[in-house]
Amino acid sequence: MKIIKSVFILCCLLASHHLFAQSNTLPTDLKWLINDTSAPWAEPKALKGGVFTTFMLSFPPTLRTVGPDSNSGFRNHINANQLGLVGMHPNTQEIIPQLAQSWAYGSDGKTVFYKLDPAAKWSDGQPVTADDFLFTLEFMRSPHINAPWYNNYYTKEIIDVKKYDNHTISITGAVAHPQEDLHYYYAIGPTPKHFYKAINETWVKDHNWKIVPNTGPYQISKMKKGKEVEFTRKQNWWAKDYRFNLGRFNVDKVVIKVIRDVNIAYSHFEKGNLDTFALIQPEFWHNKAKGMLYDKGFLEKYFFFNDAPRSSSGFFLNQDHPILKDKTIRLALNYALNFDKVINTVLRGDYERLQAFHTGYGEYSNNTIKARKFNLDKANELLDSSEWQARGGDGIRINNGQRLSLDLSYGRKEHSERWSILKQDALKAGIELNLVLQDSSSHYKTIMQKQHQITSLAWSTSFRPAYWQHFHSENAHKPQTNNVTNMDSPELDEKIMQYRSETNKNSRMKLAQNIQQMIHDSAAFIPDFKVPYTRGAHWRWIKFPKIPGTKTSDTLYSAFSNGGLFWIDSAIKIETKTARKSKTQYPVVNKMFEQYRASTP
Amino acid sequence: MFSPQAKRRWQRFKSIKRGYYSFIVICILIVASLFAEIWVNNRPVIIHYNDTLYFPSYGDILPGSTFGLDYSWETNYRELNQHFTENPDAGNWMVNALVPYNPFENHFIEGEYPPYSPSAEHKHYLGTDMAGRDILSRIVYGFRIAILFSLFLLVITYLIGIFIGALMGFLGGAFDLVFQRVIEILSNVPILYIIMIVASIITPSFWTLALMLGAFSWMGLTWYMRTETYRENTREYVLAARSIGASNWRIMFKHILPNSVSILITFFPFSVVGGITALTSLDYLGFGLPAPTPSWGELLQQGTNNLDYQWIAASAVIALTIVLTLVTFVGEAVREAFDPKKYSYFS
Repeated sequence: MKIIKSVFILCCLLASHHLFAQSNTLPTDLKWLINDTSAPWAEPKALKGGVFTTFMLSFPPTLRTVGPDSNSGFRNHINANQLGLVGMHPNTQEIIPQLAQSWAYGSDGKTVFYKLDPAAKWSDGQPVTADDFLFTLEFMRSPHINAPWYNNYYTKEIIDVKKYDNHTISITGAVAHPQEDLHYYYAIGPTPKHFYKAINETWVKDHNWKIVPNTGPYQISKMKKGKEVEFTRKQNWWAKDYRFNLGRFNVDKVVIKVIRDVNIAYSHFEKGNLDTFALIQPEFWHNKAKGMLYDKGFLEKYFFFNDAPRSSSGFFLNQDHPILKDKTIRLALNYALNFDKVINTVLRGDYERLQAFHTGYGEYSNNTIKARKFNLDKANELLDSSEWQARGGDGIRINNGQRLSLDLSYGRKEHSERWSILKQDALKAGIELNLVLQDSSSHYKTIMQKQHQITSLAWSTSFRPAYWQHFHSENAHKPQTNNVTNMDSPELDEKIMQYRSETNKNSRMKLAQNIQQMIHDSAAFIPDFKVPYTRGAHWRWIKFPKIPGTKTSDTLYSAFSNGGLFWIDSAIKIETKTARKSKTQYPVVNKMFEQYRASTP
Repeated sequence: MFSPQAKRRWQRFKSIKRGYYSFIVICILIVASLFAEIWVNNRPVIIHYNDTLYFPSYGDILPGSTFGLDYSWETNYRELNQHFTENPDAGNWMVNALVPYNPFENHFIEGEYPPYSPSAEHKHYLGTDMAGRDILSRIVYGFRIAILFSLFLLVITYLIGIFIGALMGFLGGAFDLVFQRVIEILSNVPILYIIMIVASIITPSFWTLALMLGAFSWMGLTWYMRTETYRENTREYVLAARSIGASNWRIMFKHILPNSVSILITFFPFSVVGGITALTSLDYLGFGLPAPTPSWGELLQQGTNNLDYQWIAASAVIALTIVLTLVTFVGEAVREAFDPKKYSYFS
């Protein structure tokens, strides 16, 4: 085994050496693109300084971003301070420069060329060069990082990284995509070669708590294990005066404390120990976030609509089930579920009905699709025309002695109230829904084994709609695939395959919209809810630009990443802290921002 | 019909007032809950419609078309009642249940979000839970389920416990030795965890849950039954029975069992308490009976998650405290009444 490993390392080394040795020549027909025109989204007059304190529920098990246990929420903070080659404008989705100054697309449809910014520096002062990108490939392919997914991705998906000179590289992926999408699919970041030097068997253990040099605005400066992590702003950050960074990353220090309970964290917030608090949960927003501190204007409430891809959340009907394979029944079920009533009662009108499988994907979404509204007449009409006309003594429809009784499985016990409301109204259509609560892992297991009838599930969002995994017949009727509706339609298959290979953006959008219509027509997915906003409260010393977030902001209080928009007004902070005991009244702030509210509901 | 000994015990039990009255109250509660459909229901007790009387409390649903409404699902009696009162000339009327809500019904008041606080106006005497379901109604039906559950559980554990305990005591030897070890092993199985694991895979029903709990909670009784049997086994009446050729079965269940059962009866009320507590805690943790079954544990869980709405947790806690206290009082009295130090018989 050891021999195989060392042979492998040797091969890797030889391979990388080979890359150095070869002098690559740039194609001559490249059209280099830059972006110095898109509108910045921060307030250039923002004040710098101050300490921003926020919290996390648990301390990260490691500071590594790859390898075992690295998949914690804390990784986002680290990754947010590692710039990519290019970024995406959070409002317009245009490509904006980060580590690369300009970029160009190869003629094969799967290669992107980048010219690195010569000013780009690691936090230890070393320049970022093409070699750091070559090293990424070596690093991510190494078996010693103990990350099979990355090993595979950087072998099968990222085919090659080429160096042309110290500041020019190209990245080649496995398949062609629309040009701008290539940046997303084949995005790789630099890995500080001078820091890691060699990757050996003990890499995972050695690097658990190593602070890796980064390229972003902040770097970890202090860490108390189990208690807190402190990030400090780099005073001479190489990109601080760049167009898209002006007015961002304003606070000097970001302290992330460990507070293991949300309710306790909220008390800390009211004491002023935390500067901001996200209040997405209805009970927090409606019940906790009220009282004197709000009435006296010490704490301000912001409600911000965003327009980002929405998670595909709803009921998935297993079309292999003998009752549910009948489209009439599926349609009737669509009409028999009163999601609006759930929204207007137990959800306090806070959520909105999700309309289709892919919502919020811009032109890739088909906004003409509307989820079927609760309509008992239609449901009953459909069922009366089917073989389920007769009703039993309990009002449930019967067919040859079989009752129209279906299991709805779900994995979160907080959802029992919602579904019990649906159950009551479905009875009127003669459908019995049995609520089957499972613990989340066995719920997932049941779904993956395709043993469910109706299941409540939410798929996370992606950059572009993905259909093959969810709806292609190749994934139907077999366990461990994401086609949980067991969708099996040759026409749909054909469209999905076209969608996958299409590189023209417009045709691809059109295909995506067609596919969504076909999914809607199948009635096998019943969309439930979406949360089209983020909301929270902050102390009055936290100040924001006129528009406090971006189109895609999932929180207003992010210090890193596309955020970093807010700043701390120290004078107001001192004033507010001293005024707490007095009877000072500030203006009450409870603002709603609808700039990015999607026009299509 | 009753032996003088049983009569004497009954007299003694009656003389302990606290236990006796608790017993009466708990019996009334059980009987009332068994007929809950009549007094806690969204279906009225009597409907008079077009000179016909309807008693919808039990049985099949009456579709809306029965009362001239244009739908075929269950009649919305609240609307029907309004319809009746608006048209008094038609001579139709209905008598509503005391608590006009069933435990599954989500009742929403226009312009307000659940939970609703207790109000006589809406006849939510204990308010509603987070999904707008009447708490009193859920407590009554929840009580019925809990008490039936614990009685059924009790039957299972007593049947198994007595049978195996008696066999251990009577047969002795290798059988006794082996079962002692089996019981020791089973006693160390953390039953709540087992049920949680099972419940996370299959959704338990009333019967499976009771059988599962029963399968792991009969062991405690065997020890008492075993010792009793051992002791009785050496008494003269057993020797006499054996000498006239009675079979083992006959000796065990006709002679020994009636003489040793008194000690088991004293455990009876405490087993009921145990059963209720077990079901409530499982429901509280979300591993009990499937939603939306009315359940005290589920109510307690809603209450503790939403302490701002005190009436939810308060209703569940008070109901639980009352019932458990009553049963414990009965248990105390039973123990007193059966105390062999007070009355001992040598027959």
